[in-house]
Amino acid sequence: MTPDWILDIFAAVMLVVAAVSAARLVAARPWQRGAVVTDTDVSHLLMGIAMAGMLASSLTTLPNGAWVAVFAVLAVWFGYRVVRDYQASGARALAVGHCAPHLVHSAAMVYMFAAQAAPAAGGGGMGGMGAMSGMSTLHVPTLAFLFALILIGYTIWDLDQLSGLRQGLALSVVGVASPALAGTTAGVLGPEAGTTALAAGSRAANGVDQGSVDQGSRFTLIPVLDSPGIVVGCRIAMGVTMALMLILMI
Amino acid sequence: MTDVAVAGNRTAWRGRLGTEPVTARPPLDARRALQLVLAAIWLLDGVLQYQGFMFTNGDNGFSGMLAGTADGNPAVIAKPITWDANLIDHHIVLLNAIFATIQLLLGLGIAFRPTVRVALAASVLWSLGVWWFGEGLGGVLNGAASPLNGAPGAVIIYALLAVLLWPADRQVPAPFTAARAVGAHVARALWAVLWLSLAYFALTPANRAPAGVSGMIAGMEGGEPVWLQDLQKAGASLIGNQGLAASVVLAVALVLIAAGVYLPARITKAALVLAIVVAACIWVFAQAFGGILAGGATDVNSGPLLALLALAYWPPRTAPAAPQAVPAVSEEPAASASEQEA
Repeated sequence: MTPDWILDIFAAVMLVVAAVSAARLVAARPWQRGAVVTDTDVSHLLMGIAMAGMLASSLTTLPNGAWVAVFAVLAVWFGYRVVRDYQASGARALAVGHCAPHLVHSAAMVYMFAAQAAPAAGGGGMGGMGAMSGMSTLHVPTLAFLFALILIGYTIWDLDQLSGLRQGLALSVVGVASPALAGTTAGVLGPEAGTTALAAGSRAANGVDQGSVDQGSRFTLIPVLDSPGIVVGCRIAMGVTMALMLILMI
Repeated sequence: MTDVAVAGNRTAWRGRLGTEPVTARPPLDARRALQLVLAAIWLLDGVLQYQGFMFTNGDNGFSGMLAGTADGNPAVIAKPITWDANLIDHHIVLLNAIFATIQLLLGLGIAFRPTVRVALAASVLWSLGVWWFGEGLGGVLNGAASPLNGAPGAVIIYALLAVLLWPADRQVPAPFTAARAVGAHVARALWAVLWLSLAYFALTPANRAPAGVSGMIAGMEGGEPVWLQDLQKAGASLIGNQGLAASVVLAVALVLIAAGVYLPARITKAALVLAIVVAACIWVFAQAFGGILAGGATDVNSGPLLALLALAYWPPRTAPAAPQAVPAVSEEPAASASEQEA
């Protein structure tokens, strides 16, 4: 049986992800006109809370059925986004677009909540991870394995792209870069990071000064939240944790 | 005013922007792609190591499994394994948590470009340690080795891949990816040694016994999903008691694969395809996907690694211009090449 303290550590990481996502949502000032609230932040927030509840039964919030409904809606939304990306960019959207990983995450969450073979030992039937530490299993374990493989694949890809981006951003920073490069950034990291990167790239190309770039950011209060690394870091943490949960529940 | 200031005040990971070389991120090349697959496998191994079974001690637990690998090995090999298994038995939770985290970090480290060298080097050391203390040298010395059960030890193939995919260029242009770091001669020799050793193990008495192969396949059915059990039953019944014939066929295929990299490109490709097919068959039928679906796997076993290795020997689409050996690159240029590729 996997020790509870290990699951608690992963639960804590998920809570951090949820907190960061919540902070990004607040920093986006959704109550103002023209605010940009990104679906990825909403998705990270919900998944962080739900996964923390699965890992530590004391953090359980909603019944399994409610989470299935929530993540089914998210899966449909991201599925729609992926189809749109596919129509615009072809199969490349699956590899470099930000929606495909979120679609997989959402679908995996639906599967995890819907396919538990045994109710949680200490979770009051709500899927708390008494469920996991008590070795609750999933129906159709092959699907769990496939989800875990895909999640790990996206995690590795995200890490590679994130670290490779450092050099790409350096290029845009000195004005050599083009909006196209920043557009790639947007594809990898999602629109929330890409908007800023695109702005930076195009302004670098056009010689626009710092002030105008800063006005383009929606995170003037807490600039660190605007880091592309924050967004992808959350996704990486989520991918690893979700793969872990799937493997533990096989 | 440039955007340096803009980027400079945002995040730590962009903190060195001003000092970094101004280069566009190069496209994903074959070696980096293979590195990423290796990283994914390490990451999966790390996740598998967190399974509940790995935190149990006793004869039927993780430590007991480790102790079992000492059986039949020479004392000089077996005694350290037994000592290690005892140590783990007493501190199973802490040590296994460390083991799992190390493997997790190896995967993440290989995927993260700035740490790829450190992670690959660490993976070689870790693999060698696990090969001895965790796999009993893959059964090479005690007669238990078989290409079907992961000989010569799945984890040693991780180390081999880390060496072959090392981000440096000894030979430019290289005839295949695995030759870039160590040169074509060394890479081919390593390939031949690995596959010829597999051919040898396929013909050892235990493996060529009438029910040797089918028994090994049937032994993997426990706990697997029904569809996989059906596949394995079909495979086992197909071979039946023809263990000798099956072993000979397998050994011949393995010898052909070993020799393939020394032949013209077209034949090499055929041999590599054969290698991938053999690796896939072994992984599905004899290794049951490493036993992952049964919930007791410690790693993915050797099938995917053999296939990954084969891909590292795949000739490029366009034949390189006359290969020319160049001296081993010094540390600085190598780092530069690595940076560029990474």
